[in-house]
Amino acid sequence: MKSVIKAKGVVKTFQGGKKALDEVSLEVGKGEVTVIMGPSGSGKSTLIRTFNGLESIDEGIIEVLGVELDSYHDERKVMRIRRRVGMVFQQFNLFPHLSIIDNITIAPIKVQKRNKEEVASKAFQLLAQMGIAEHAMKFPSQLSGGEQQRVAIARALAMEPELILFDEPTSALDPERVKEVLDAMKQLANNGMTMVVVTHEIGFAREVADKVVFMDEGKIVEISAPEDFFSHAQNERSRRFLNQMM
Amino acid sequence: MKFIKKNLNLFSLKRWIRNKPVDFIVTMFLMLLILWVATLIVSWFILEANWNVVSDNLDLYAIGSYPADQKWRPMIWMLSLSTLTIITLTWRRKGILQKSLPWIWILMLPSGLVLMAGGPGLIPVASHKWGGLALTLILALSSAFIAMPLGILLALGRRSKLAIIKYSCGIYIDSMRSVPLIAILFFGQLLIPLFLPVEFDINRVVRAILAFAVFAAAYVAEDVRGGLQAIPKTQVEAAEALGLNPKQIAILIMLPQALRTAIPALTNQAIGLLQNTSLMAILGLVELLGISRSLLANPNFMGRYLEVYVWIAAVYWLICTSMALLARRLEQELDPNILTIKSNEISN
Ligand SMILES: Nc1ncnc2c1ncn2[C@@H]1O[C@H](COP(=O)(O)OP(=O)(O)O)[C@@H](O)[C@H]1O
Ligand SMILES: [Mg+2]
Repeated sequence: MKSVIKAKGVVKTFQGGKKALDEVSLEVGKGEVTVIMGPSGSGKSTLIRTFNGLESIDEGIIEVLGVELDSYHDERKVMRIRRRVGMVFQQFNLFPHLSIIDNITIAPIKVQKRNKEEVASKAFQLLAQMGIAEHAMKFPSQLSGGEQQRVAIARALAMEPELILFDEPTSALDPERVKEVLDAMKQLANNGMTMVVVTHEIGFAREVADKVVFMDEGKIVEISAPEDFFSHAQNERSRRFLNQMM
Repeated sequence: MKFIKKNLNLFSLKRWIRNKPVDFIVTMFLMLLILWVATLIVSWFILEANWNVVSDNLDLYAIGSYPADQKWRPMIWMLSLSTLTIITLTWRRKGILQKSLPWIWILMLPSGLVLMAGGPGLIPVASHKWGGLALTLILALSSAFIAMPLGILLALGRRSKLAIIKYSCGIYIDSMRSVPLIAILFFGQLLIPLFLPVEFDINRVVRAILAFAVFAAAYVAEDVRGGLQAIPKTQVEAAEALGLNPKQIAILIMLPQALRTAIPALTNQAIGLLQNTSLMAILGLVELLGISRSLLANPNFMGRYLEVYVWIAAVYWLICTSMALLARRLEQELDPNILTIKSNEISN
């Protein structure tokens, strides 16, 4: 299988000496859904943010879609990756001064220089797919959290990415709003999108993940298939974590 | 009447005096004081004030010694400015007018400059003949027009990753803010010509505009910086993740949000700038205050200080209040929630 991400020996130390990533190696294949779990502060966010260059690294090599990043952090390479990789954040991070439709079309128009009308009709299609077509002309502050997060997914999809990174996409939502976002993500997974998802939604992981990565203190402790991970995790720390979760 | 009687009846007045004597005395004293001042003012307005100094010289206040046969040019300009202000403040606008209003506003400065100075088909009028309110407005608008972009660039520069740009912008902003405006104005009027070769003669109005602009830019920069700081870091991250480059992030994501937040502070700057143009009277430009001072030097109107200053205070008040109202209008206009209501109206 062709790999989309190949990370080898990645080390990241923040200013102040906190080692957030400690010799992390991970491979993500095309069309795979990888779920990353682990306690708070274990380096999950830091890891997926290195994949699109939001964090630089101190050691190791990360190859994303054939582009290699290392400690030099070449801005041009980072840009090449970002054009092909989408990201969805915990806090949605929509642009409050732009309407929903503008939020979605800004990057395809300005970054990919695509035709405005084409992008707009594609955006409406994506909103319909997310079940929120009627909100196209509204502004982010007028939408519920779940709706905003689905807009954020549509915004990432509008760039026609080959990989999407999700950083706890449902953690900031009211419990009754979680399902609508997870459903949208499942739909993507079923359509063959390559996804790396930081989440604690066990049901989601069981249903769509190809593998579960468990992190603790900046290290990858375990990589297992979901059915193995949730029934008999190999690692002591994974088991303790799962006990707390369930 | 019954109501008043009930409230003013002697019994309750007595009770008030007995229960709260200090309260009563202070209230009475203040009421008498206000009454006395009001009487003085009203009687001055009616009996003593001689408004000839205003009514005989309306043209002078408006345009100074601008050639009389060309008087229509600044007059038309100021008339359209006030009409535009009224339209902007009162009309519930839709469609074409709503879209074109910002452009009409932007065109007001260049059209004003052309009308005042002359251009295709208009006889040139040298800037030393400009004066009065027209000159005040030209000074304020032109320097604001330069100070805004300059201030925005300085604010962005102060956040630059390049140390040279960052520190030179910082030094510029901080040093401008630690010098009084009048010093900058003196510098502009007196010192710049000394440094320039004789044949290189920039006129006094331009020098004043430049001096105001470089001064105001530092304050604009600080206001914009405040707006930029209010934007959460996650906004930049989201934009970066979408592949927008730093320039696009600044223009499309940061500035629109920062400027909206900065509108109230920028309004204060604009109002301050308009009032500060009166400092140019000391340096010999006959803008609104300058023309008033020269009128007071005229033997016919000797000693009419109060009338003149009450009058120009009223004019300044009117202009500054309009500016504040326009700014509030702009703020509402940029409020996302109101924008949607509008776009819904259009799509329905
Ligand atoms: N910008 C930063 N500066 C300093 N330390 C940071 C920064 N971001 C994260 N860290 C630290 O790195 C560690 C890993 O953080 P993070 O990747 O956010 O964990 P997780 O997403 O698993 O909760 C934490 O100890 C956190 O405090
Ligand atoms: Mg995190």
